[in-house]
Amino acid sequence: MKITLVRRINMSFREFRRATFLIAQKDLKIEFRRPYEVLSILTFSVGSMLIASLALRGSSTVIPEIVAAVLWIIIFFINILTFTTSFTREADRGTLGGLKTLPCSPLAILAGKIIYGTALIFLVICVLVPCSILFLNLQLGGSFPLLIFICFLGAVGFSFAGSFVSGLVMFSEGKTLLLSLLLIPVCMPVILPSVITTGKIIRGASLFDILPELRLLLAFLLLITAIMILTFTFVLEE
Amino acid sequence: MSPPTKNVRNIEVIDVSKRYGDVYALKSVSLEMDEGECVALLGSNGAGKTTLLKIIATHTVPSAGGVKILGEDIFKNDGTIRRKIGLVTHDSYLYDELTIQENLQFYAQFFAGNGEKIRLDLIEFLGLKRWYNVPVKQLSYGLRKRADIGRALLHNPDVILLDEPFAGLDITTCDLLVQYFEEQKEKQKTLVLSSHSVEWIKKICDRKVVLKKGKIVDENHIGEKD
Repeated sequence: MKITLVRRINMSFREFRRATFLIAQKDLKIEFRRPYEVLSILTFSVGSMLIASLALRGSSTVIPEIVAAVLWIIIFFINILTFTTSFTREADRGTLGGLKTLPCSPLAILAGKIIYGTALIFLVICVLVPCSILFLNLQLGGSFPLLIFICFLGAVGFSFAGSFVSGLVMFSEGKTLLLSLLLIPVCMPVILPSVITTGKIIRGASLFDILPELRLLLAFLLLITAIMILTFTFVLEE
Repeated sequence: MSPPTKNVRNIEVIDVSKRYGDVYALKSVSLEMDEGECVALLGSNGAGKTTLLKIIATHTVPSAGGVKILGEDIFKNDGTIRRKIGLVTHDSYLYDELTIQENLQFYAQFFAGNGEKIRLDLIEFLGLKRWYNVPVKQLSYGLRKRADIGRALLHNPDVILLDEPFAGLDITTCDLLVQYFEEQKEKQKTLVLSSHSVEWIKKICDRKVVLKKGKIVDENHIGEKD
């Protein structure tokens, strides 16, 4: 008998999209049934921004690059907090087995987790950016939508990296430590363009000025998508 | 003269081995199960019963060998195969924060077709109607197990895999389950169950397969050598 050790699950794009949204919807529903986790992430981010504003209170003008660094350090930690519970919670509670009984591709499960992560991180960003305007006295003017757009792209990038790494480490013993350690190098292609772009936007740059960084961010998304497509099927195997 | 009846193979386990590092959980296991048959997997802890069930359920990839369900290699298209399999394991696959209804709805949505209708029948049959809108975290172990069985059977699978289905259940529920499994056998479904409860096995199983250290050491019909 011919042995096939690679799982092939045939799904139409419509089925894939449906499965993805069902998984994301389920995760978000669970997240909001236990609001203390989202609230603790929100408290952490607003608290960090407040501390940063107190530290920078002596400066008459805040340097944009410092504001960008503060913002993305907080978002990076939000990313770690979010993804320590993504796949890990499913593995710890045993519900991952339930997902493996579903007639859907492992990639649909991963895509569902990415959407869930993006939604959660972006929700926190939506609170964090107005807080940074308030506490750090930012004068964004017309650049506000562009900053939100970059934050959204960053959230997507973090979510891709975070979901994948969370899936990679979910069966290991020191998963919390491993996740934090692995996320730093894996997220570097997201952190770098996001920080540079945010600094530029605060200085008043237009979309045209940030195109090189955007290209880097998109290249990273393409690369990590390709890696996920090639490897994630094996990641779900115990 | 009527032609001789030929048993239809629902599950074929062909020379399956599973290795974790240097330890073999299963070693060259071959097994065939017909439609309408109920097979009991027996053996001490660590004998390989759960691993075998997980391989048949497409959860775990074997290190060698293969499995066919209804003639199809399960690793070539386990999307279709999974629609034909219902699995109950030690772990509950239900989400604590969601109600029984939300949990079953989540799983049913992936199995297009008659999930909705079967789900309501099953809920009533398993005596879960009263707890239908209660979050799973508020349920007792027995109720949770019943709900999990409902989850595994809601898409009316052809192959039902049960790992210790009677553990933690009261006698009434066990009787109900036996009745349900008998009905499924009559509908030509194949049941494979691992259990330490010989009493229940004798009631529903046609054949027993004894595993020891990942190998089949005994295989005979129930009643032959009990």
